[in-house]
Amino acid sequence: MRITSSMEQTLFLAEIGTLQSNQAQTQNDLSTGLAFTEPSQNPAAAGEVAQYNEALSQSLQYTANANSAQTSLNTESNALTQVQSQLQSLYSLTVQANSGTVSSANLQAIATQAQQIQSSLLALANTQDGSGNYIFSGYATQTQPFTATATGAAYNGDQGQQQVQIAAGQTVATGDNGSAVFNQIRSGNGTFAVTAASGNTGSGLIGTSSVTSASTFATAQASAATAGPYTITFGAPAGAPASSYTVTNAAGTVASGTYTSGQAIAFNGIQVSLSGTPAVGDSFAVAPSTNQSLFTTVQNLVNALTSGASGPQLSNALSGSLANLQQGLSQVSTFQSSIGGRLNTITTQLSVATSQQTQLQKSIGSLQGLDYASAITTLDSENTTLSAALQSYAQVQGLTLFKYL
Amino acid sequence: MPNIFSITTSALQAFQTAIAVTSNNIANASTPGYSEESINLVANPPQSSGVLQVGDGVDISGISRAYSQLAVNQYNTSQSGLGQLNALQTYTSQIDNIVGTTAGGLTTALQSYYNAWSTLASNPTSTADRQALLSQAQSVASSIQTTNGQLQSLNTNINNGVTSDVKQINALSSQIANLNQQIVAATGASGGQPPNALLDQRGSLITSLSSLTGITTTNNADGSVNVFTGNGTALVVEQQASQLTTVANPFNGQQLEVATAANPTNIISSQLTSGDIGGLLAARTQAVDPAINSLGLIATSLSQTANSQQSLGVDLNGNLGSPLFTAAGPQAAASGNNTGGATVTASLIVNNGTNNATSTGALTGDNYVLSYVGSAYTLTDQTTGSSQTLTPSGTTAGGGPVFNVAGVSISLSQVPSSGDQFLIAPTAPAASSFAVALTGTSQIAAAGALQSAAADTNSGTGTIGSPAISTPYPPAASVLTPYNIVFTSPTAYNIVNPATNATVSGGTYTSGTPISYNGWSVTISGAPAATDTFSVTAGSSGNNENALANASQKSLGVLQGGTTSLSSAVNALITGIGSQASQVNTAQTAQSAINTQAQQSVQSVSGVNLDTEAANLLQYQQAYQAAAQALTIGNQLFTTLIDSVNGTYS
Repeated sequence: MRITSSMEQTLFLAEIGTLQSNQAQTQNDLSTGLAFTEPSQNPAAAGEVAQYNEALSQSLQYTANANSAQTSLNTESNALTQVQSQLQSLYSLTVQANSGTVSSANLQAIATQAQQIQSSLLALANTQDGSGNYIFSGYATQTQPFTATATGAAYNGDQGQQQVQIAAGQTVATGDNGSAVFNQIRSGNGTFAVTAASGNTGSGLIGTSSVTSASTFATAQASAATAGPYTITFGAPAGAPASSYTVTNAAGTVASGTYTSGQAIAFNGIQVSLSGTPAVGDSFAVAPSTNQSLFTTVQNLVNALTSGASGPQLSNALSGSLANLQQGLSQVSTFQSSIGGRLNTITTQLSVATSQQTQLQKSIGSLQGLDYASAITTLDSENTTLSAALQSYAQVQGLTLFKYL
Repeated sequence: MPNIFSITTSALQAFQTAIAVTSNNIANASTPGYSEESINLVANPPQSSGVLQVGDGVDISGISRAYSQLAVNQYNTSQSGLGQLNALQTYTSQIDNIVGTTAGGLTTALQSYYNAWSTLASNPTSTADRQALLSQAQSVASSIQTTNGQLQSLNTNINNGVTSDVKQINALSSQIANLNQQIVAATGASGGQPPNALLDQRGSLITSLSSLTGITTTNNADGSVNVFTGNGTALVVEQQASQLTTVANPFNGQQLEVATAANPTNIISSQLTSGDIGGLLAARTQAVDPAINSLGLIATSLSQTANSQQSLGVDLNGNLGSPLFTAAGPQAAASGNNTGGATVTASLIVNNGTNNATSTGALTGDNYVLSYVGSAYTLTDQTTGSSQTLTPSGTTAGGGPVFNVAGVSISLSQVPSSGDQFLIAPTAPAASSFAVALTGTSQIAAAGALQSAAADTNSGTGTIGSPAISTPYPPAASVLTPYNIVFTSPTAYNIVNPATNATVSGGTYTSGTPISYNGWSVTISGAPAATDTFSVTAGSSGNNENALANASQKSLGVLQGGTTSLSSAVNALITGIGSQASQVNTAQTAQSAINTQAQQSVQSVSGVNLDTEAANLLQYQQAYQAAAQALTIGNQLFTTLIDSVNGTYS
């Protein structure tokens, strides 16, 4: 090919231009520390980095959510621990009152203590978190959930339960509403409750009662002919001795028999144990369990302690309260273990998220971070090429025949 | 006897001219477009003097230039290619930069916006968290608007570029026509000798024109050339230049198109595919407009999903949520060239269900042209080029058709004239007007519209699920009226208005079958007992269900038929633009090399080599010196003769 004078120049300029722009790019990479600053330099990696950044930001948000859920659940757990200890004190006091040897003055003192526990339970149920939200009012976080009434406490919240997302597709409840924790407690032994009629004159005492066949009991409840509530009446039918009893419901007689102190009266899959000597006409109600608020239970206990009743009447009232307190305690334990489970889930998820975040940051670094060694080597070789190009041009430029004329 | 004087004189004249031609080559060694010239010498035929044939000196038959039409044509073509890619690269790299920085900000802003919903879900009554959400929404809106503004300003630059290119093309065409005239005249005057300087000048004008737009040339016998654009529109025919002009796009007055001055309705933009002007037009149709439309699609989709979710919740004031974002609907315009009187309107097809995903799933970021030819309506996607024949799904009051297609409802006011065209740009305007509509933190609907509860006194085992809105979007405020579901037996229920205690409805209970009333439906399962009561009420302030639903929209497929989430769409926009810029960069580098190669070919043929000129100079100088010497010898011969004659007489 014939080389003309201007070709040398244009070729040189094109070459220098390319070399300088490469050098500028390498220099920019080195000064930013990034392998690419514009998506066009590496579109695939830019897309991946954007995705990783998004996943990282999402994961950090999940961590923040988990931490906030942890705080809420710890607040609730602390409140429930105190509820538990208050209920245990109340239970001991009730056992003490039911020992049969308590003087009326002591009974009065126990009643006073029970009232104190009642108001502290109400305060615990109205616990607020750091932001002033009530933790036991469901979604109605700005409404005080429990207000005292003559029969216990009224619930003003709702049955909402806040969930937060702590991982993709995984949510955890950050609390429990007051209705579920304090109100939906099954009365009696959880299946049925036995209460003595207020006009009983005998010394019949309610003992332990149990379910012998849950399915028989459930079947009996489904049919109006056999469904509760039931009444155990002594000295029935009319004219029979006090030891003869009948079990009746709205439809008629369900069972009947002869009473022996301490021996269980069994019917429809349950058995009720009574002791002492009931008088003719004494009756005991056996009703399927319903939800009874913890505050109703405590109010009933306070009422019994302050009613001035004594003997079998007080004892029967207190043993009913003990059964209900037992239910309350087990309810609180159930919620405590549920909270424990949720906290475990959160802890697991937090550690998963932490390792995931480390991994993502590593991936982003490896895609976007500059390989300094290779960049510096590249810059070095680009510098060498550029200076060689400049030198060679200067030399070639000097080669002209005119110089020798 | 041959005339020594005439021979040497002819030689002296010839070498003087040769030295002049060489000097001219040296003088123009760096002149762009200059072709190396060489002198053509021929020996004069001998004058007969008896038997011997002695030549009669040297003659200049002409001065020719080193020129290869093939190399020049290749160079011109490569100039057009390079011009196109240079212009395109200017814009793709700017867009790359814009989306790499500001739209990169959009990815972050969008993520932060969804995170703000998630944080709000942990504490739905917090004013601080609500304010944070509003601020994040603002930052998404400003990110979309800023990006859009920068892209729009590129379109203004393209308009300016097109105008300036058309001016330059017109000026060059006129100059070429003018040179044609001079060349024809000069060739005639010199009896057929080529006017080399004029030819070089014309050649470099044609090369300049090539870098503006792709051209083809044909040579005429009289020495003039005809110049046509790539598609055959004449720019120069013999000594006459035709002008181009810029006209407004018939659908969009903001965009300039290229037409011939003779027939301004004949828009030739789509045929100008190379040269700087081709690059500018390609940047508009292939890079800037698609980016604006994609951004608009993201804005439309975000506002649709966020607003419909907002309408399914209640705010702190106890009202159903009002729209969070505003974004303009589709752009619809009739062509300025239409002969009929039909006007066109287009609106987004709003989803009728509660699943927001389908509301924008059918939308694309493409623009469409609706044409009416004969009695058929055809919709052409301007991006993919695919067409479909449309069947009206209804009729407007004026008798025009209504089409529901591509997520848009298109209505014509009346039946258009045959040949009329309408542009529908479903998402083009959305990004420019994208803004946050809510002003107060209390207006954020973090709570689900409805919630349910079972009465504590219930003796049965029935449990109630979360109520869902089943009325078409958007629900009416009356959906928030509370109702109780009261069981009259284990198998029958009444729906009771708790305010009036009036039974408004009722039904037979089957566990797990939804109970629907007043625009909601709720599922009760288990075995409720008689008198058991369940309630459905408006969401409380601490309810976070709608905030959770909003946060989960991040990964909800709302685009491309419900397969792509908003954040993936943003990422796809960024990588798509990055890939495009990278492709153009690669193509530009390759074309640059081709161009340098072609230029070297031309230079190799037509360029001046100073060493050659130096050698020629020496050669001609020596020849001149020799001829002068010959003249001296001739003179001496003559003097000798004279002296000897004088001597005879003396």
